[in-house]
Amino acid sequence: MSDDYLWDGSGTPDPEVQRLERALAPLRYNDRPRRVQKDPPYIRRGGAEGPPKGGHYVRAWGPLAAMAAVVTLAVSVVWRTPAASWEVNALNGSPRVGAHAVAASAKLAVGQTLTTDASSRARIAVGAIGNVTVEPNSRVRFVETSADHHQLSLQRGTIHAIITAPPGQFVVDTPSATATDLGCEYTLHVDDEGSGRLSVDVGWVAFESHGRESFVPGGASSSMNAVYGPGTPSFDDATPAFHAALDRFDFGRAEVRPEALQTVFREAHHRDALTLWHLLSRVDARDRGDVFAALAARIPPPTGVTKDAVLRLDRAALDAWWESLELGDVTFWRSWLATSKR
Amino acid sequence: MEWSDHLYADYARMVHAILLGRVPRAEVDDLVQDVFLIAFKRINTVRDPAAFGGWLGTIARNRAIDHLRRRREETALPDEVPGGDPIESETLAALDAIRRLPEAYRETLMMRLVEGMTGDEIAAKTGLTPGSVRVNLHRGMTMLREVLGSKA
Repeated sequence: MSDDYLWDGSGTPDPEVQRLERALAPLRYNDRPRRVQKDPPYIRRGGAEGPPKGGHYVRAWGPLAAMAAVVTLAVSVVWRTPAASWEVNALNGSPRVGAHAVAASAKLAVGQTLTTDASSRARIAVGAIGNVTVEPNSRVRFVETSADHHQLSLQRGTIHAIITAPPGQFVVDTPSATATDLGCEYTLHVDDEGSGRLSVDVGWVAFESHGRESFVPGGASSSMNAVYGPGTPSFDDATPAFHAALDRFDFGRAEVRPEALQTVFREAHHRDALTLWHLLSRVDARDRGDVFAALAARIPPPTGVTKDAVLRLDRAALDAWWESLELGDVTFWRSWLATSKR
Repeated sequence: MEWSDHLYADYARMVHAILLGRVPRAEVDDLVQDVFLIAFKRINTVRDPAAFGGWLGTIARNRAIDHLRRRREETALPDEVPGGDPIESETLAALDAIRRLPEAYRETLMMRLVEGMTGDEIAAKTGLTPGSVRVNLHRGMTMLREVLGSKA
């Protein structure tokens, strides 16, 4: 008898496996909704943790996952130029630098945190290269600055950055990914769980997390997720069905991804080559040929770029095709990445 | 649906199977909660999505070990304390037999026979190769037949 039935329930049923399935079914996980992220866990009165026995547990704390991420990030930052500071101006209400309320203006030193509440906003002058508006309910840490490198950490909330420096000088860390300015204006939002969204108004932002990279041009956005890293970028004027399918592909359950991918193909317009190019390296190998076909139907691969090379994810072939999309020059990003591994 | 809900929905059966192979069934559901709470607190340390399932499985095994150690220290309870829905003796016998198997076979068979996951699903969730899952299922089932046969 083959193992097909034992593998996935197909083929000739194995009576003993069937009998065990029936016998063990009452033990199956009861898939009732549970929201461990939002609902407090159970902690035993007195502090010891463990499962409840006879109601000796109380609901004890709220959504700490994002807080833990923030703490981890904060303690891992290395201060390289402790004396440097940037000017902060209060735009509304009373933002705080550390524990001190900012009435009109203040200095934000490396290592300090700027916090806004629901009624306050602030603007940070990023040296001589631009400014960052910090929207309400946000928390931003000044990580470091030098002649050619300036870095913030957005731990929660929303910032709007306008940077006029050469590409690569302004970097914002988030719990999900690192945004590197390639000469632009953009908005970055991080929610309490460390996930969020990058929306670029003008220019370019490179979004990267452990080798998973996104190039987001003006008019496009990219979601980000604390587990999955940066999502696949897409132009904001793509169809709602396209956006919904892309979300399902990026962050949905494995079962829905094939259908989501087909919807992305169906809904993609010429401009959505941006998304299709990114998908080449994000789909399973078995789906890569379909992505190749979908992208080639919108923007044919340039001379010298073969299907075989693309399916192998040959970096030079992917970059050459990217250049033919005429969305931006990837050369700088590659050279910057190669020299910026600090 | 938020990302944490997605992860919970995707991996709860795997975690449940790992725990059920180790701790009394009446205590498994709450330990599943514990495992996800621990994972979500540390989730910032996971950057490779492909590693998430294996990492979560390790948390589940460690949580089960901690729980059993604490349980032994607190009080000597029988393995299957009253609680949960009443189940048939055949169910308990099958559960007991699977728990006697080596860990790799035990966990894979729990996912297949208890949780109803397919071999492909088990591979996708645990990070094991499909080939390893197939071997675990085949050898585990062979051993399980022997255990059940010797008890009959």
